[in-house]
Amino acid sequence: MQGTHYTLQLPNGLTVVAEHQPEVRSAAFHFLIPAGAVTDPDGLEGSATVLEGLCYRGAGSRDSRQLSDALDALGIQRGGGAELEYATFGGAMLADDLHRALEIYADILRRPHLPADQFPAEQALALQKLERLEDSPADKLFVNLRRAYYTNNYGRTPLGNEAGLQALTPESVAQDHTRRYRPGGAILAIAGRFTWSELSDTIHRTLGDWEGTAPEQPVPDIAGRTKYRHIPQDTNQEQIGAVYPSVPLGHPDYYNMRMAIEVLSGGMAARLFTEVREKRGLCYTVRAMPQTLKGMGSIIAYASTTPERCQDTLDVLLAELVRLGEGVTDEELARARTGVLSSLVMQSETSRARAGAIARDQYLIDRIRTMDEIRSGVEKVTPESIREYLQRHPARDFTIMTLGPQQLEVAE
Amino acid sequence: MKFQKTVLDNGLTIIGEQKPSALSMAGGYFVRTGARDETAEVSGVSHFLEHMLFKGTERRSADDVNREFDEMGADYNAFTGEEYTVYYGAVLPEHQAGLLDLLTDMMHPSLRNDDFDMEKNVILEEIAMYKDRPQFTVIDEARSIYYKNHPLGQSVLGTSESITALQRDQMCAYWERRYAPNNLLLALTGNFDWDQAVHRVSAATKNWRPADSPRETPPFEPRSGVHTIVKEQIHREHVAFVSPGVPAQSDQRYLADIVAHVIGGGEGSRLYWELVDPGLADSVRLGHDEEDGSGTFFGYASCDPENTQTVVDRIRGVYAKVLDEGLTADELERAKRKIASALVLHDETPRGRLFHVGFDWQYRQTHAPLDEVIDRYLGVTLADIGAFLDRRPFDTLTIVALGPLQSLS
Repeated sequence: MQGTHYTLQLPNGLTVVAEHQPEVRSAAFHFLIPAGAVTDPDGLEGSATVLEGLCYRGAGSRDSRQLSDALDALGIQRGGGAELEYATFGGAMLADDLHRALEIYADILRRPHLPADQFPAEQALALQKLERLEDSPADKLFVNLRRAYYTNNYGRTPLGNEAGLQALTPESVAQDHTRRYRPGGAILAIAGRFTWSELSDTIHRTLGDWEGTAPEQPVPDIAGRTKYRHIPQDTNQEQIGAVYPSVPLGHPDYYNMRMAIEVLSGGMAARLFTEVREKRGLCYTVRAMPQTLKGMGSIIAYASTTPERCQDTLDVLLAELVRLGEGVTDEELARARTGVLSSLVMQSETSRARAGAIARDQYLIDRIRTMDEIRSGVEKVTPESIREYLQRHPARDFTIMTLGPQQLEVAE
Repeated sequence: MKFQKTVLDNGLTIIGEQKPSALSMAGGYFVRTGARDETAEVSGVSHFLEHMLFKGTERRSADDVNREFDEMGADYNAFTGEEYTVYYGAVLPEHQAGLLDLLTDMMHPSLRNDDFDMEKNVILEEIAMYKDRPQFTVIDEARSIYYKNHPLGQSVLGTSESITALQRDQMCAYWERRYAPNNLLLALTGNFDWDQAVHRVSAATKNWRPADSPRETPPFEPRSGVHTIVKEQIHREHVAFVSPGVPAQSDQRYLADIVAHVIGGGEGSRLYWELVDPGLADSVRLGHDEEDGSGTFFGYASCDPENTQTVVDRIRGVYAKVLDEGLTADELERAKRKIASALVLHDETPRGRLFHVGFDWQYRQTHAPLDEVIDRYLGVTLADIGAFLDRRPFDTLTIVALGPLQSLS
């Protein structure tokens, strides 16, 4: 079962990708606007978040409340927010309302009022979200792990920092909108039930005369990264994170990496869950996941546990990452393959999941992968190909971060 | 879309809602047991037992259970609440037999001593994890305060002390009472073979014996008022607010959902405009939780500690205005539209649909097709809402604030 794919490249630079799913009653859309934390102006970190929030405070002919009411009247389930590489504006709804939704979102992106009198409230919200990290130890760990690993703007968080948020002004945010909310570099992904010719007309009509190109994005840089850092905090559990370089989507070794990580952390029979939690009872949460950014891939591993078990947990976690290099068994790979292919089929039953997935594909590799392509990529992987990949890209040169009551021993 | 139902001789109910065009099927055991069915000395046993069901049976080791789920490419998990414990999996249709054999076998766990001792550590870690998350802790605290000594105020996780003291024999005795076939429901959704499912599950459960699995539903008086729990090391103030709602068995639950949605269903709700839009709270939400013979409007907000009094006063103000003036026609229409689209999106997959089909049966012994449920919401009028609000649900209000704030009125 495979949805039909469509691609439309507008002359203004906006790329549209779509997947038609005849069996669903819904439609979902997902805008990627090249206005994430990595291109926040220096000294104004957090601008992406405040700008994204302000876009909803009135746009086109509607003030803040009219805009919100119009979205609700269409039953749109809103999603999105500023992220590291882009800001997303997403929605899912009954399929019939898709065209009217896109008309409203064209206003939100292109004609937001960015009202100066509401700027202080948006700024206050951003500062509160930053403060909220202090009550969310796992989130705080990930923010700091990224800061220790990436040595350029990729080490930022979309939440910004206090100085950056305080330095923002209504004028700076308006300028930022002019600079970054541009069709050149932006992506619109749509999935669900629609008629392509009608959808294409609506897109041309609402977004065709949008103009301009967003600034170039930097490339992730990890040269000179931190090896280990501990953040003392009075918590019940120790948060443990480790990250190391790998390969991104689009790399010849991508599917080898994907299946290796599935063997490590795909299901409850995967290695990390089995070795760290099931056999040793060291923790409740343990996992590893690939992180693909534009042009660079990494593996992030995470666990949280009480202080008396945290050194063991870190040691076993790192040992398992390294042991993967000794190879995987046929059985492990077979399970991993079934898991990935099965979830791919199940994902195709929902419009929201597909809109997000094809948007990511387009952003990372400038095209969307068909289900056949993914299937073929997964099926080509063998225990031997994984072993060779892990020789080329072994688990080493970790950046490790802990947060909690205890500093840990990290081997050289 | 076809609905079927059967009750086996041992009392096990099987229901199925078929959608032949689906690409997957989902199956789940809904066990009518949870924190409310526990005594104080075994607090947390339902949740601990849920973990133990993944630790193997007479025929399977713990490794076998996890490995078989993964071999089928299943999307699977389990969760425990105050009233139910649910085990579920979604697979491609060719794995139906394997999924149902595994889930069914799991209902009769070995509860081996070694596994029990090892898993105890995992449960204690889970308790420690939630202790570090005040946004979760405040909900537990608010339930406990609101329900006083009523069983619905009991903690799902239990405490470090109750879990440490728990013995395997106590868990076995609890399992025997609560996991009898007459207290279980097997629900199926998506693209499955009904006859094969009934045939195989009947054979696999022929030796299961029914048992008495009573549930106490004593009446209760909610404890209202303002309660502050002072924790200096927390940075934000986490505020829960609770009012009486309607039971899962009541037809008024549609009205309660709509009222909760208009007041606090996210962006565009009244609480959003009062609190988030002006930057007074970084998040606020209100939902209606339906329960067996009871129900609550449960809300949460987080804010700067110094703004808490204003936030609480504004919540009271929003409630007073809704009680005095009702909802507007536009608000009602928007809420209906949003609830309808959320239902369609949620139930798009067999896995999503499973929970609505399963809980519908467990709470009400009915099957409501999705379109019928949507029509019930769409049929609600302002007059219905007015009559509902005339009972003045928000006159009873329990507020619990967790954080550095010293006092609140």
